[in-house]
Amino acid sequence: MSDAPAEPGPRPSAPDPGPPREPGAAAPYPAVPYPGPPPYGGAPPYPVAAYPPTGAPQPAGPYAPPAPGTPGGPEEPRRRLHPLSPALHGAKSLVVVIAGLSWSTLSRVGFGWFAAMVAVLAVGATVLSVISWYNTGYHVVGRELRVHEGLLWRRTRAIPLERLQAVEVVRPLLAQLTGLAELRLEVVGGGKTEAPLAYLSVADAAALRERLLILAGRAGQPGAAPAAAAGTAAPTGPASAAAGAPAAPATVPPGRPLHAVRNQDLLVSQLLTPQAFLLPFGVAFVVAQFLSEDSWSFIAVASTLTAMAGVLLQPVRRVLDDWNFRLARDEGTLRVRNGLLETRAQTVPLDRVQTLRATWPLLWRMKGWLRLRLEVAGYSIGEADERNRPDRLLPVGELPTAEMIVAEVLPGVQLAGLPFSPPPPRARWLHPLSRGALGAGLHDRVFAVRSGLLTRQAAVVPYARIQSVRVVQGPLQRRLGLATVHADTAGGPGAAAEDRDVAEAWAIAAELTRRSHAARRAG
Amino acid sequence: MTGAESTGRPAAAGPPPTPTPGPPSVPPGPVPGPLEPWPETVRWQPISRDLIWVELVRLAVVLAVVVLVAVIGWALSGHWLFGVGLAVALLLGAVRAFSIVRAVRAWGYAERDDDLLVRHGLLVRRLSIVPYSRMQFVDVSAGPLERAFDLATVQLHTAAAASDARVPGLRPAEASRLRDRLTALGEDRAEGL
Repeated sequence: MSDAPAEPGPRPSAPDPGPPREPGAAAPYPAVPYPGPPPYGGAPPYPVAAYPPTGAPQPAGPYAPPAPGTPGGPEEPRRRLHPLSPALHGAKSLVVVIAGLSWSTLSRVGFGWFAAMVAVLAVGATVLSVISWYNTGYHVVGRELRVHEGLLWRRTRAIPLERLQAVEVVRPLLAQLTGLAELRLEVVGGGKTEAPLAYLSVADAAALRERLLILAGRAGQPGAAPAAAAGTAAPTGPASAAAGAPAAPATVPPGRPLHAVRNQDLLVSQLLTPQAFLLPFGVAFVVAQFLSEDSWSFIAVASTLTAMAGVLLQPVRRVLDDWNFRLARDEGTLRVRNGLLETRAQTVPLDRVQTLRATWPLLWRMKGWLRLRLEVAGYSIGEADERNRPDRLLPVGELPTAEMIVAEVLPGVQLAGLPFSPPPPRARWLHPLSRGALGAGLHDRVFAVRSGLLTRQAAVVPYARIQSVRVVQGPLQRRLGLATVHADTAGGPGAAAEDRDVAEAWAIAAELTRRSHAARRAG
Repeated sequence: MTGAESTGRPAAAGPPPTPTPGPPSVPPGPVPGPLEPWPETVRWQPISRDLIWVELVRLAVVLAVVVLVAVIGWALSGHWLFGVGLAVALLLGAVRAFSIVRAVRAWGYAERDDDLLVRHGLLVRRLSIVPYSRMQFVDVSAGPLERAFDLATVQLHTAAAASDARVPGLRPAEASRLRDRLTALGEDRAEGL
């Protein structure tokens, strides 16, 4: 299922206005640390896309000395997104339009009018996306990716590649059918996913991703800007050779395979959720409704089914998203590939991992399963579409598997061996039942806390990733002589050791500060 | 409960921090609070008491609007509920005014070698420890009311959204000194993420 048309060659039914791309645009892509000529420098695949040099003169000033990563001309021409993108955007808005008009509108206006309304709105949306496609262009200038967009309000976003956290290639269902892909960039400090380039051909997307990662990696070399010094996402050597191969939608990510989740386990795990347990009641309700009312209407059943689908959305989404979950280690990065309808290839630089979270849901404990998640800087907490965050490390698995993966992400850390100590007994006034589940501990390299009576959770923060330490004491805690210690990290809530004895809280805070300082010095 | 308290109190209440004589540090006033760790190494700087007036003026504006609405409503309708509302508003205002005074006195900051310490809050007490090396940028801001009292606010931002290092009520000279020092130290030790 997940391997869609692999070769981006002649697309079926493509109203391709531009001349066909050179067949092997991405195949001769230079793999090893970027020795050859720039893959895009000279020959842009779409000559149409070269904008006439009208408009404001490019502020090429500070970028005049091109970075070492870009030999070649002073400025490469802007390129457009794939010509099929407006059609895909239009189709996407069709779904939104139908959802917005809802069932009740359908019943009120009748099918003919409904179809007409949908058609008008969809055509309008498509026209708008054609206009926006025509005015959207991107190119790499020095160490920046610039994305130009907008007709009335022109906007140019310059995305500094030093700050690039991760690049992922996403392929929604429609894009899979048409052989396209979406490229998402994650940047430190960006409130949301920057510049989703939707859509590019798969080969273009893979090649551009490699190119951006290589440029970002250059910035990470010693002596470069310290903010980027963590040696970002530098895929080196054979790794990028594998990734540069245009046949991106292979199911196995490049690099050394670590783990593959069995789809059967995934299904069972999502059946062991409260939502799935509620499903029989929902079905019974619909059947009862059907039997009791003589004049059952299509609308009533449809609404009930929609509501049930809403409840089931999360488990179903998880199954769809985590289907065929493959995890691989590739030098300093983790490569994740997953998805049934929408395949994703995510690249997570390991040195950008801020927090690791393990969750043991109540119903999974009989199987001994747990879930692992990551937090990576650059992805905001409040991002609307949580599915796009590259946080999956293990959708479901047993403890040994989890230990193996944790050892890859944070060498020397064992989930079972974390030194948790419970808060003092008087914390039971605040946590009558779950005091025993609380815990915090200082490991050699990480700060670990756990919480949750029913859904047990553990959060692990490497000392080197702690941004600041806070000690907070509420009024009740003050009466009991307790305090909570927070270790803040970028891109997530961090970890909080709840209700420690005040003296211990100060000691933990001092120790966290000291160790994070030392870890940063060492690293 | 009592047992818990008896064990808890000594740790919390601790010995009051002896105001160590520091170069520019004003000896901390009657700071109500056991929330100063490491009293032997940390010298807390209080913020300007003028912030009390800034906050009081702010409170007075809000209170004036509420009172005006209540009085007009009472005068027009004559309903006794408006009178109750007026009394409650005034009572809350008085409580708030009292807590403002104490809260401003509780606010303090300390510059250590590698990090900035900020403590504030009365009901919920908070202490933030922010390493200079984690600083992303520093904000210095002064609203019209603050400017009228010759005050400014310095805020230190890290990559973590939860970091909470805001120091209000600084004299502009002190604010720019702190900003420059933070920037210099931050550049010195920048380690970013």
